[in-house]
Amino acid sequence: MILHPSIIALFLSSVLISMLLLYSSYYGLLILRKWDIKSGSELQLDLERRTYLISTILTYVFGFQLISLFLYVYTADLLHPLFVGAMCASGTLTVNSYGYPTLILKVFNFITAGLWLVLNYTDSRACDYPLIKNKYKFLIVIAPLVVAETFLQAKFFLGLKPDIITSCCSTLFTSDSTSVASDLASVPNIPGKIAFYTLIVVTLASGVYFYLKGGGGYVFSLLCGISFVMGIISIISFFSLYYYELPSHHCPFDILHKEYYYVGYPLYLCLFGGAVAGMGTGVLMPYRKAPSLMEIIPVIQKRLIIFALVCFLIFTVMVTYKIVSTPFKLEGY
Amino acid sequence: MIELSDIRKVFNCGKPNEFTAVDGVTLSVDSRKITVLKGPSGSGKTTLLGLIGCMARPTSGRIHLTGRLTQGVTFSVEGTTAEVTSLPERFLTEIRRRAFGFIFQQFNLIKGITVLENVMLPAYPIGEGFKPLRERASRILSDLNLSGKLFAKVEWLSGGEAQRVGIARALINDPTVIIADEPTAHLDTKLSGEFMGIVERLKGDGKTVIIASHDPIVFDSPIIDRVVEMRDGRLSGGYQRR
Repeated sequence: MILHPSIIALFLSSVLISMLLLYSSYYGLLILRKWDIKSGSELQLDLERRTYLISTILTYVFGFQLISLFLYVYTADLLHPLFVGAMCASGTLTVNSYGYPTLILKVFNFITAGLWLVLNYTDSRACDYPLIKNKYKFLIVIAPLVVAETFLQAKFFLGLKPDIITSCCSTLFTSDSTSVASDLASVPNIPGKIAFYTLIVVTLASGVYFYLKGGGGYVFSLLCGISFVMGIISIISFFSLYYYELPSHHCPFDILHKEYYYVGYPLYLCLFGGAVAGMGTGVLMPYRKAPSLMEIIPVIQKRLIIFALVCFLIFTVMVTYKIVSTPFKLEGY
Repeated sequence: MIELSDIRKVFNCGKPNEFTAVDGVTLSVDSRKITVLKGPSGSGKTTLLGLIGCMARPTSGRIHLTGRLTQGVTFSVEGTTAEVTSLPERFLTEIRRRAFGFIFQQFNLIKGITVLENVMLPAYPIGEGFKPLRERASRILSDLNLSGKLFAKVEWLSGGEAQRVGIARALINDPTVIIADEPTAHLDTKLSGEFMGIVERLKGDGKTVIIASHDPIVFDSPIIDRVVEMRDGRLSGGYQRR
């Protein structure tokens, strides 16, 4: 293990997050089994008080969970000079077999943590805990995933050895091999762009319709999820090429470098923000009819729709501006 | 109507110095009446007032208030009954602000600012315009014969005047329930009599008044509707006066 400050911060915070999640899950189970809002028993009142504590803890825990994804990528990027052959985070993450599984789990947990925060925020707006059981059921699903992430991350950091020869991004994200990364890199340019822009237009249109008419919430939510995946694929397949001005360089991490003005951070933040907000509207859909949430959910959903639309719009404008403004032309490769 | 069912309040629960201040109290307090909680020191009167006024949560039991929580966490007095012990803190803040006015034994006025500012202070978080708020505060103070003291610092006031400023402050948000904890403890007989006169006027205005006191001037007053006796955290008796 390399005793780098970022690694220590990620390692300790992940352990802390896991412990707090296990603590919260214990009370989550207790709430699922014993919660009875009609009862005035000592246990019920204790659980009601405890849920404020847990809610506060989890808001901070999941807040850090969101940040930790970017810190993880940043750390992997920062460490790449220590490994022979690594040119960016991509090389660091292939030093052992735990790097990418940790990243994928972190991405998944980012989304689920964001959705839990949406659910928790909505529940706390109402006076009668309408989402309490669903919120804790969801927590009990998330907790093992976060613990697994902590385990994989620990295995990854413990397995980092400075003398390991690794691969650089140009060999991983190439269309000449048979890996998943290669499949992503080899999506054809023009059909890919058509698919991306069509999807974004449909997503924006469904968002506007949902905002104005209040219908099509599930469709918008699903489209936001698909747009997120499509956005990631598009960055790897063709958008990144315009930033690198190289027709064969598909690395999703180099755009986080200073040389590219850290443009990757706002791009990814927009994608993740849009995904969480957009999918968050869908998570709230089943509860629109709950008496204490009937007036609350539409207000929250409207805010989430605007946030999601702005995020996807900024992402689209940024990549489109780059395509239009750069002298590099991808067509023909 | 305020309904308490099987209320217990235990301090330092599970510790060697555990103390049960209120133990199994079930009580209904009628609207637009004056109810006195009577009992010696340590009988649980103040704790019970704090629980009714949403200043603290019980260890077990439920409290229902006539009223309704509406969107935007406002508390409407009309409508159905609201259970308040399970509410998150931000809802309780709103209920405390809208439904209750508190009169304290020590008056708890803020020194260094004027009588008018003290009275207006609890209304600031509501966001009402300054001019109508000042006019209302001035009117309430005038009703309590304090129109000449609007701009006086509270440390210059006599005990009776300070008490009336405390009453004006309790009324500024037009609450439905006035809670007074030992309000005559620092007043002489004459001033205590004046206080009871004000309480009678509040009742006439449709307020529900709950007073904790062991002062005979209070619980023997003819204006009292009901006396509830407490001892060792439990209800030990009581009688209906009207």
